[in-house]
Amino acid sequence: LSTAEIRAGFTAIKAKIQSRDPIRSLSILNHPQSLHKVKSSDRCCITHQLFTFYVDKVFKHCRTEDSFVNRKISSIANSFLSARRKLGQCREQNNCVCGEESTEKFKQILANYEGLNVTSAAMKSLGELDILLDWMEKSR
Amino acid sequence: LGGDALLPAPQSISILSTNMKHFLTWSPVIIQGATVRYSVEFQGEYEREHAAGSWIPIPECSLTTATLCNLTQDISGSVPYRLRVRAQLGTASSPWGTAEGFFTRAMTSLTPPLLRVLAHGHHLLVELPDMGPSFQFRVLYWRKGQESRVQQKVLREVSSVLHLGSMEAGAEYCVKAQTHVQAINRSSSFSPTQCVRAQGDTSL
Repeated sequence: LSTAEIRAGFTAIKAKIQSRDPIRSLSILNHPQSLHKVKSSDRCCITHQLFTFYVDKVFKHCRTEDSFVNRKISSIANSFLSARRKLGQCREQNNCVCGEESTEKFKQILANYEGLNVTSAAMKSLGELDILLDWMEKSR
Repeated sequence: LGGDALLPAPQSISILSTNMKHFLTWSPVIIQGATVRYSVEFQGEYEREHAAGSWIPIPECSLTTATLCNLTQDISGSVPYRLRVRAQLGTASSPWGTAEGFFTRAMTSLTPPLLRVLAHGHHLLVELPDMGPSFQFRVLYWRKGQESRVQQKVLREVSSVLHLGSMEAGAEYCVKAQTHVQAINRSSSFSPTQCVRAQGDTSL
């Protein structure tokens, strides 16, 4: 799963996105526990869940008046679809098991997300994309 | 020119894609004595399936007089895209003309790399083009007459010159290469074989 393209797209708009997130003290992905605490056996499942989270809940609420940002979000979103499809193949071959821990961790992420209004939550989640990418690359 | 109906949509809309560079082209809309402009939009699978079928404009190809638009930056992942263009003249806009079918970047055509093989003293070198970060090169090289002992080097980063190895004085060595794009898991055909002779005399 190549994250290089997603990272390049995100790096191009990171400053603009993160400047729209006033609540710096809160984290969606890393609260209360860092993604790095997730067991290796649960990684595939939570990655697939997180890709679905971003596709279904995040990108669509991040539309801006800046066409460059919108184009990069589109590029990232479509790359997420491709990557999720590849992960879906793992699930079909049954080597992407969802354990209790990943289910719990994903519930926490959804709770963090739903604790904010939708636009702030979506923009914050998008701004934390590098946390997800760092975790994915580190746990490769 | 009043009303949209009079301005016809662009025709012959097609996507030209070579070596992961993607362009939309169309035939010009001819209106005597007027300068017609065009605007291009794209729609990935995400927009179709998850963003209410929205279309995204490409500012570099908005109100342009060109009949060509570079899509490379906007086509990502392995999902199918749709592309459309319309003509505009003053306040009048034509209907959208949409490229037929879908485009995914795996449809790009990959051409063999243009390489230059150099004998530098007794060193065998090959000069490779910079084709961008998506490209890797697979270089095959052998001593002429020893076709069964082909050696290979794979180059993942962009580097203009690759040292293949040392040559025996006076011997002739041949090289060919192909590109590989990981993102679409495809390779080009091989370049024509190029051979060079090492300096010095083989009879020594």
